[in-house]
Amino acid sequence: MDMTEVQAERGGPAELQARVLGAGLCTACGACVGHCPYLKTLGERVAFIHPCPLPEGRCFAVCPRTALDPDRLDAQLAGAGPADPLLGAHRALHFARALDPEVKGCGQYGGVTTALTLFALGSGAAEAALLTAGSPTAAPHPVVARDRAAVLAAAGTKYSACATLAPLAPLLREGTAPLAVVGRPCQVAALRKIEARGEGVNRLALVIGVFCFWALTPPFYRFLASRADLARAAKMDIPKEGGVVFSVNGGAVRIPLDQVRPFIRPACQHCFDPTAEWADVSVGSTEYDPDWNTLVVRTARGQALVDGAVAVGALEVKPYPAERVPILREAVRGKKLRVLAALEAGRAEAAYLRLSPERRAALQPEAGAGA
Amino acid sequence: MSLQALRTPGPGRTVVLSGNEAIARGAMEAGLAYAAAYPGSPSSEVLASLAAMARERGFHAEWSTNEKVAMEGAAAASFAGLRAITIMKADGLNVALDFLTSLAYSGTRGGMVVVVSDDPGAHSSTKEEDTRYLVRASHLPLLEPATVDEAKEMTRWAFELSEEVGLPVILRSVTRIAHARGSVDLGALQAPPRTAHYDPGARYFTTSALHPLLHQRAEAARSRFETSRFNSYQGPADARRLVIVTGPGWAYAVEAVELLAVSDEVGVLKLATTWPLPERLLLSHLGHAREVLFLEEIEPFVETEVKALWAQHAGNLGSISFLGKASGHVAGPAGPAIGELTPEIVIAAVSALVGRPFEPRAPEFRRKVEETRLPELPARALAFCAGCPHRASYWAIKAAIELDGRDGVVLGDIGCYTLGSMQTGYFTLKTVHAMGSSVGLASGFGKLGDLGFEQPVVAVVGDSTFYHSVVPALVNARYNDSRLLLAVLDNSTTAMTGHQPHPGTGRGATGEPAPPLPIESVARSLGLAVEIQDPLRIEETVESVYRLLQTDGAKVLILRSPCALLPWVKRNQRAMVNPERCIGEACGCARVCNRVFSCPALVWDGARGRARVDEVLCAGCGVCVDLCPREAIVLEAVA
Repeated sequence: MDMTEVQAERGGPAELQARVLGAGLCTACGACVGHCPYLKTLGERVAFIHPCPLPEGRCFAVCPRTALDPDRLDAQLAGAGPADPLLGAHRALHFARALDPEVKGCGQYGGVTTALTLFALGSGAAEAALLTAGSPTAAPHPVVARDRAAVLAAAGTKYSACATLAPLAPLLREGTAPLAVVGRPCQVAALRKIEARGEGVNRLALVIGVFCFWALTPPFYRFLASRADLARAAKMDIPKEGGVVFSVNGGAVRIPLDQVRPFIRPACQHCFDPTAEWADVSVGSTEYDPDWNTLVVRTARGQALVDGAVAVGALEVKPYPAERVPILREAVRGKKLRVLAALEAGRAEAAYLRLSPERRAALQPEAGAGA
Repeated sequence: MSLQALRTPGPGRTVVLSGNEAIARGAMEAGLAYAAAYPGSPSSEVLASLAAMARERGFHAEWSTNEKVAMEGAAAASFAGLRAITIMKADGLNVALDFLTSLAYSGTRGGMVVVVSDDPGAHSSTKEEDTRYLVRASHLPLLEPATVDEAKEMTRWAFELSEEVGLPVILRSVTRIAHARGSVDLGALQAPPRTAHYDPGARYFTTSALHPLLHQRAEAARSRFETSRFNSYQGPADARRLVIVTGPGWAYAVEAVELLAVSDEVGVLKLATTWPLPERLLLSHLGHAREVLFLEEIEPFVETEVKALWAQHAGNLGSISFLGKASGHVAGPAGPAIGELTPEIVIAAVSALVGRPFEPRAPEFRRKVEETRLPELPARALAFCAGCPHRASYWAIKAAIELDGRDGVVLGDIGCYTLGSMQTGYFTLKTVHAMGSSVGLASGFGKLGDLGFEQPVVAVVGDSTFYHSVVPALVNARYNDSRLLLAVLDNSTTAMTGHQPHPGTGRGATGEPAPPLPIESVARSLGLAVEIQDPLRIEETVESVYRLLQTDGAKVLILRSPCALLPWVKRNQRAMVNPERCIGEACGCARVCNRVFSCPALVWDGARGRARVDEVLCAGCGVCVDLCPREAIVLEAVA
């Protein structure tokens, strides 16, 4: 499918229902919600409550699981660094951590996402931040944070598919203030599709993407509710090895990964973008040093924000260890190749991807730059 | 209700009463001492009338929790030597039937009358049931009034008959008697005796040993029916063409004979005592008739029984042609035995009987009517009232079911909220049967988990229905650990039948205070988890329903908000559409507020292309405020 075809593809609620919601491919990003009175979200599910009669709709246009064309999104991303078929366009790759002890204490690993969000609000770059709040053992909820306390309350990774973007449509419609958004890769893609529609022009001051290889479904929280020892868990982490780790009263409680796998959201198995390639900056685990985050600086706007945060002493960065780069790239490649295989096998779950032959070729190990 | 007419002293006065009031008056003229009923259209106003008179006349009147209990209470009064009446709709007789068939065996003492109102055409019912088959199965005497006046007089007589034969007597009313108004010649009101006493030697048992006695008592009733003044015949003594008619169709038949000018050849036998058949009376008329037309409401009950009677005596009677529902001569647009009799159906049938076409109007007149006829009014679906909390409940339940995404099944019950099966309730209900059946069904579905059933199940009942017949099903669900959510749409009244009180309201039938029995107390006493939620708070309600759908076992969610039509419900606010914010068709909402939400007060202003709230209709519930994606609907205070 070439670019013109992609641009011409239009659809509405019927197609969204058939191809995404009804097919179990919804990532619960929340982008389609909040504008339409027929679509609602609860319990990390998005559904049409009543049938919408419109032939075409915003819901279809903004969904990250209707047509997704990485080339097109790359082209859309202003001020982005050089293209990279695995990690996405970026200008820099760092290890980073917050310097504010309170931020570091409540954030995940180095607390970079929280630090950058606070800096964006404090510096006036954004007046509000759309975040995901909640305890690690209960289903999270979207929050519109306007102050330090609200941002700190939303710190820490949530491992399920909160519809964080649900409040976005009214925020864009009703206000004029610049916004920061912290989202999963699917949400970042949706944000760029929203921007492409001309909605909220120049309103998305900062988009922070968090690495995400999959999210868990809400039954995971019901599973956790049966574990009294986790009732007071402050943080949850899924390191590369050692299962799922909960920080409880200064100690750690571990659950084998095999007990958690059944809760992986099926839609996430078909995700092509674990690092939020169209964010201004992406933040993830280093899978190496829990005091630091991986920080991918993608756009000029992201670069300015990081520079500013470093300049005021909110953030500390150091070079990404060269020997760790191939490990990150292989992890991403593995995920992308699995989805590519599904796409090339003609499976409906991957049919949302619009991948040029060049991009497909670039994913192969022998062609991967630097891998 | 015309209290003044009801309490007018007799005899010698004529007043206008409804059929239901006439039945109440007849009971009071018979010295009624005990009245009990569960409301059900079209019979509800009988007990309402009696309850209004109970204190000044010194008798007991109550709304009972269900028809069986009502009938049992009335039987107790009868056993104590008092005259008692119990009133129900056809569906109610099904509820009470187990006791009624037992009571037939044991017999009664004080006169006991069971009024059952059938609803031909199902104007206010889910089904079109003909009570007479159940009466026949019970071996009990059955009376069918043809006019409002006769309903009064027949009720009074029914108490005498009951005492004569020692059985409860069934009075079958129908909608066109119950809700019609007519002049009634009053008799004297009689005070109830203060002599209630159970004879220590008396025994009222149900035992098959009494079956022969029951037959003897029924025969005694038949014998009385042979000469009953309520049966009458008009027409030539030897008419070869005979109309046998029961109920309000009698007036249509008389009119048809007159309009067709066939009174010299057609006889009309008005049969008011329809079970056991007055066989000698019928045989005397079948003896001269060669063609017989049957007119009766709903099913061909008399028609079938009279044909059986003819078969028994065919050797003497010779050949007779029978016209009726079986032959297809008595049929409305939907076919025979469907819908109620109308003058049109009757005149067409009499016309067929005499072989003479009937032209009600000159062709020229009909042509002019066609020419001047106004365009037909647009069809309007049945809908919840503006401000009805049930609309909010269904909006929330529907949302929770869709968001849950497991094809949850919502089971309906009997009340205003049965409309949840239609657009006004977003087609949420998937089943509707009898009072309380939703919970029994849910209890069954809730045990199918091991058989592959993964869908959540919600039973929706009303508050009055909860007391009527939900409790045993709920006990069953609890006992068998069934997985279900019971949503009680508690609007603090028995709304559909006219705002009768129930055990939760704190008031009895005559307005006296009664200890309220909250639904939550009953449910919690069964060991069930209970939550109470105001359904007008939509988002919270969606979350409550959704959350409870994720839990195991049986649980109860009471969605409590009073019926918007209750006089004490004053919300002091109403919704309005801000015309600056509503952008009409440009919005992309596809008119969700008035097209989908279906509140009669939310209308589309076609001229301005905007939504509008009809301020006369709006009850100020505020639910629509949350619907509009542009927040164009706002509330304003009303003095």
